[in-house]
Amino acid sequence: MALRLFRSSSSIAGQWSQLLQNASIAPHAFLRPAISLQIPGILSDIWESVLRAVPKKKTSHMKKRHRQMAGKALKDVKNLNTCSGCGQIKRAHTLCPHCVETHPSDIFSLAVTEKQILSVSGASAIQVHSTTNPDFPLVQSIDGAHKAGCHHVVTDRKGSRAVSVGFGGEILVWSCQEGTWSKDDKVPVVDGRGPSDTWAVALSEDGQYLAGVSQDGHIRVWDLDGHAEQIRDYETKGSFGTCIDLSLDGRFIASGHENGSVYIFSTESGRMPFSLSGLVKPVRAVTFSPGGKFLAAAGDSKVIVLYDTSSGEQVASLTGHSAWILSLSWSSTGEYLLSGSFDGKVKVWSIDTKTCVATHSETEKAVWSVKWLPKVGRSEGFATGGASRSISFYREATGG
Amino acid sequence: MDQTEPISKTHHQERVQQYIDDTLAGLLNAMTDANGSPSITLRRRSGNVAFHINLNSGALETTDTGSLLTYSWPGKDCFEAWRFTITLRLLTAIADAIHSGLVVSKRDIYYSDPVCFGSQRVVDVLVDDIAFTIGVDRASLNVEAAAKGLVAGQYRLIHPSAHAVEARISSESTPIPRMQETVGVNISDIEWVLAVYRRLVGSGYHNTAAAGKGILITGKGYPDYSTRGFIRKLFDARSQSQSSRRPQFFALVDGDPDGLAILATYKYGSMAAAHENSQLNVRGLRCLGLHMSDVVAGADPCGDDTLLRLTARDRRKIVTMLCKNPVFAVDGPELDWRAELQRMLMLNVKAEIEILYDQEGGLEGWIDRRMEILKKLD
Repeated sequence: MALRLFRSSSSIAGQWSQLLQNASIAPHAFLRPAISLQIPGILSDIWESVLRAVPKKKTSHMKKRHRQMAGKALKDVKNLNTCSGCGQIKRAHTLCPHCVETHPSDIFSLAVTEKQILSVSGASAIQVHSTTNPDFPLVQSIDGAHKAGCHHVVTDRKGSRAVSVGFGGEILVWSCQEGTWSKDDKVPVVDGRGPSDTWAVALSEDGQYLAGVSQDGHIRVWDLDGHAEQIRDYETKGSFGTCIDLSLDGRFIASGHENGSVYIFSTESGRMPFSLSGLVKPVRAVTFSPGGKFLAAAGDSKVIVLYDTSSGEQVASLTGHSAWILSLSWSSTGEYLLSGSFDGKVKVWSIDTKTCVATHSETEKAVWSVKWLPKVGRSEGFATGGASRSISFYREATGG
Repeated sequence: MDQTEPISKTHHQERVQQYIDDTLAGLLNAMTDANGSPSITLRRRSGNVAFHINLNSGALETTDTGSLLTYSWPGKDCFEAWRFTITLRLLTAIADAIHSGLVVSKRDIYYSDPVCFGSQRVVDVLVDDIAFTIGVDRASLNVEAAAKGLVAGQYRLIHPSAHAVEARISSESTPIPRMQETVGVNISDIEWVLAVYRRLVGSGYHNTAAAGKGILITGKGYPDYSTRGFIRKLFDARSQSQSSRRPQFFALVDGDPDGLAILATYKYGSMAAAHENSQLNVRGLRCLGLHMSDVVAGADPCGDDTLLRLTARDRRKIVTMLCKNPVFAVDGPELDWRAELQRMLMLNVKAEIEILYDQEGGLEGWIDRRMEILKKLD
């Protein structure tokens, strides 16, 4: 270093001006008289960076250990197994990415039966995976079902009938024989015109009644055991109907709308037993608890609101999501509520404590649909699908 | 393009001349004949045909050969007589334009007798039909639309005669130059080309971008032939350039069905003029935005109020695009665009570029960051 300084300056008097011109040499040249260290030759080249280095904020060993003991540290992924299909290693309880051809587009809706899960996406096919096998193999793919893609699919409880709604506006009815789905000729029609603007649909538990909410806010019910004729038409204020649900006992229909309103209709009287307070922003999911005691509604306001279905009072609001909530699902016992949001977060809420007991964030892409799987033995689980274009399966209510 | 173009251009004009001469001669013969019925036959593009994407050129094409339509005079009704009249007038205008060597705009033709033509659209469609019938592009008829697009940035036009090079360094936005009398462009100085909506052109962003110097182009909505032709020329210049530095081509459009339709028009071509798409499409164009996930991001930086609801027309348009346009088909080339359209339908929202003004660093800052991300993906 000293050598270089001398070489670059012809005289002592000229040295300062030289140094000032050459900014990169300046710091240590100025510092040298004050510190006067003997720098070994090997260090001389990195000395400048040593001087400039600032200690980083360091997490102490104790703090790291504390976090680890509290179960918050990064963990190894140990839930791996080999795919029975192709033999490659994959994460347990998820579809094998190597051999299962998942949808090439966003998965917009999931529907579960006792043994199967149906998924629809922006592609034209409806896919059916078996949920009895831990590898969730694809058992059927109904290709070309909806040309423009499909946004809703629902099934009845025993898995004998399914209804799907495509982006083109068409409603298709499917029936299942021994685990294989085929198209039914029944077409629910609106005033003899075809179901042009029905958006969201729900099937009753026995599959007899189909309820749908339309883009102009009409709620219609069709009898699918007959000739799919329309038997009810409830009119609301005309805001886009984004979601609909039928209570398990078939007594109530609930719908959520873009202007934030939530309506409950009694199927017996055809009236609204009470008006609900609704949300401020668009509602994107409504669902009845299995016992019919609660109605959960959520949407762009990022909170989940629970209503008591006997009084219409709002009994709780669950906060914690930081993005639009797109989908809700109750566990079969009504103990837990599942929610999926636009930022990819999936949360499990305990209804007893009204708190979030688990958050999953496997993806940052929108989760369009979440669904609990039927209880097998003691273990409970759920499935999620969305813009990540694959279906993820989770076991155990508290996740992990 | 290449050196042969001027030759083929005169060749095209000869065909146009030939067609007009033949048609007029046929009319005159029929007039002088006692039993003759003067008629003009046009080949029309039929409305409901299948489109596909040509894998070699990346252009939207159709196998449609059109259907023949004959207008005779005096015709069976008032409508036919009117169609015959305006077709004849249009042929006259084209013949005049070619004789004098001047280029007329469709607007000029319409305003020469607005009462007779009825609307600008009638003229537009008929000119395209005539070009389609003769089998040439519209520019060969010496008819073009009034230039709509604007460009800002630095490029050099190369003229065929005497190797003249015309440098254009426009800090202000200028109309898209006419490409008919140029052989090519040289864009060796720039890093990127961005097709964008109109307000950014004129902001000087082409000089201040973090990614280096660039060219901004706007078609003001759906791009016309000259705008698309200009970007295509730039893109061809990129493919031919020997240097390792190749400018990137981007488009920034609104997050609504029209935005994606504009994007598809730039990259693959329009369905209305499928016979010219292979000359105008830009296959290397990439979409900078606006995606639904940008605007409905996790923490909602923009707030929900800036998002607009889809109208009934928007929803119908999306469904039509999903069903009819092969660009957005399930086995098409742009599954992400398809998913984007479907997300709009699902959420029933759309977003305009204006909402990016509220982002950190404004619209320019957002574009800087987005270009950086796309560059890293390469």
